[in-house]
Amino acid sequence: MGSQKRIAKELAELVESPPAGISVELVDESNLYEWKVHMEGPEGSPYQGGDFILKLSLPTEYPFKPPTVSFATKIYHPNVTNDEKGSMCLGMLRADEWKPSSKINAVLQFARQLLAEPMPDDAIEGRIAEQYRNDRVRYDEVAREWTRKHAIPK
Amino acid sequence: MSTSTATASASIADPPRPGRLRRFSQLRAYTQNLSHSSPSQRARPSLSSRVPWLSTPSGAESPSTQVESSTPLCPEGDQPPEFLYRILAINSPNEPSQTTHVMARLRSASAVQGRPPRNLARTATPEAPTSLPEPTTATNDTLELTGTISAEIQSPSKLPQKATIRFFPYQDSYQSSRPSLPFIPISRTLPSESCVIRVGRYSERDGIPNPNPSEPSDSPVGFKSKVVSRKHCEFMYVNGQWHIKDVGSSSGTFLNHMRLSQPNMVSRLYSIKDGDIVQLGIDFRGGEEMIFRCVRIRIECNRAWQQQPNEFNKNTESLIKNLGKGETADYSGCRECSICLGSVLRPYQCLFMAACAHVWHYKCISRLLHSPDYPMFQCPNCRAFTDLSAEVDDSNDQEGEKSQESVGAEEGNQAALRSEAQSPANAPPESEGHETSNQLEAHPEEPDLATDVENLHLQDEQAREADTESSDSAALNGSNDDLARSATVNLPGWQPTEPLNVPTRHAQLRADTPGSDENPLTPRNDSGPLAFDGRAGMP
Repeated sequence: MGSQKRIAKELAELVESPPAGISVELVDESNLYEWKVHMEGPEGSPYQGGDFILKLSLPTEYPFKPPTVSFATKIYHPNVTNDEKGSMCLGMLRADEWKPSSKINAVLQFARQLLAEPMPDDAIEGRIAEQYRNDRVRYDEVAREWTRKHAIPK
Repeated sequence: MSTSTATASASIADPPRPGRLRRFSQLRAYTQNLSHSSPSQRARPSLSSRVPWLSTPSGAESPSTQVESSTPLCPEGDQPPEFLYRILAINSPNEPSQTTHVMARLRSASAVQGRPPRNLARTATPEAPTSLPEPTTATNDTLELTGTISAEIQSPSKLPQKATIRFFPYQDSYQSSRPSLPFIPISRTLPSESCVIRVGRYSERDGIPNPNPSEPSDSPVGFKSKVVSRKHCEFMYVNGQWHIKDVGSSSGTFLNHMRLSQPNMVSRLYSIKDGDIVQLGIDFRGGEEMIFRCVRIRIECNRAWQQQPNEFNKNTESLIKNLGKGETADYSGCRECSICLGSVLRPYQCLFMAACAHVWHYKCISRLLHSPDYPMFQCPNCRAFTDLSAEVDDSNDQEGEKSQESVGAEEGNQAALRSEAQSPANAPPESEGHETSNQLEAHPEEPDLATDVENLHLQDEQAREADTESSDSAALNGSNDDLARSATVNLPGWQPTEPLNVPTRHAQLRADTPGSDENPLTPRNDSGPLAFDGRAGMP
């Protein structure tokens, strides 16, 4: 598999010099295609202090097909589905937007950026997006509460 | 202008020799080629240093295009469309006269020099034959002369940047819709800014259109589909920005899925940018038959800077020149293959370089080359489109050779070979002269280089043994005719995933092109009993 070499390389790079607030590991050492990502809530956002766990899975056709990113930790966010799956909608991960030259590093940084600045125009959870637009205070409150409940280790 | 170089090659031509010996001979061939190419390139005085307009456009243009795209010059919605017509009206009195004047001067200049004006013929016209005889630029004096002449002639006119637009077929594969009408890529360069490119149904009366004219042209673009109206839409260039307008089509013009106007109504101008999708009409009767299919076009515009010498492709050129120069070579600027993230532009690797000068390992990129879209290739780095089946553009090589700005040393060498092989009338004495002189120059250097490379090779070998996928027998074979062959023909060793699909699709594409010989809609009278070429009644 040609993709394994690339994935191993990206993994090594990310382990060696992880971007701010992000750390990665393999779910299972023998499987390069399933990653577990720890993401700290960015400062200044209602997710601050939270340790969010994301699942990143790579298709065997990677890098020709985009990876998928989902939140294993529940999060109150307009761009993340509010269910068990926690699927995330990233523009750059859409099949027609994806470029093989994009790296996982960029994907994860983009995801973290999305925590700092949600994109209500590109939302999956319309209700949260509306609240984000119209009632920011309440949104911040709920998001902070969810972070406390789900993402902060006791 | 698709100067895609497939540096991948297989050792077909080589007689089987015992391993190391064979490798050494390959190395010899390799180093010889390299030492051929580099002195010839270096010996030539760089035109760009003397002629300022040759080197400037890349740097000067790219920011301006960005500015244009970020600030929409077209009134979007708020202002009435009359505004633009006013602009057009204001522009038209002075503009055409000025540009035609320049054009006339350019033409006379090209007549004097006996070669096409290069900046006008920059239209990425792969199939444009260099109709004018090339002058033999055997000596540097003549070269200098032509250089200064063209500089003198063009510098006062401040080098008008001609507006170029290209249309590529677009298949909406992600929404799994039906295939749209196939056509071969079309390019147009406006002779003057006030010209308009009319798009409509293909008509016999327009004559047989040339999809890629070498000269600037605003000839109409025709598509063989019943869902395209005779007058469907128009493309125009206003204030440095391309626009589209529906001119009252019945089945609609769609810009990125948005219909521009009601049926039979003229729309306002919409600005378009590189990568936009324009659809003409809607599939009729399910699009089962070819002539009822809609046309989907991917627009390419404002990419001229990429087709000229710029920082990036000149850097690539120098890196390629360094290939195989042994341990002394400088790989510090070496780029990575965006697919495997390994380093490219090292010796002993099969590479593929697209027209945009992005380079990958052939193995890594092959999946994107031999896709269902086959003749079309989209660069995964910059999304530039290339027609891989396009004819090799010789005129560009000449330019590259002269101004030392061709994409790579191999390119230049290939150009010499190609011009010898394809058009014997095309300055054979020049290339032959260079061939011999290069050989003379090259020989003293050769042993050193060969040993250098041999050392390097020994080190590499250990590393390579670990790499199971490496095809080291093929990697070395940098001989030029292999390169030329692999650039045009299917690459040996490629396992076709869809052995039947790709070629037929390709044939189909060619067949449905306006202007191609086997035209399904315009049957030729060459098989019936009245054919006059002696084939009458032949099966």
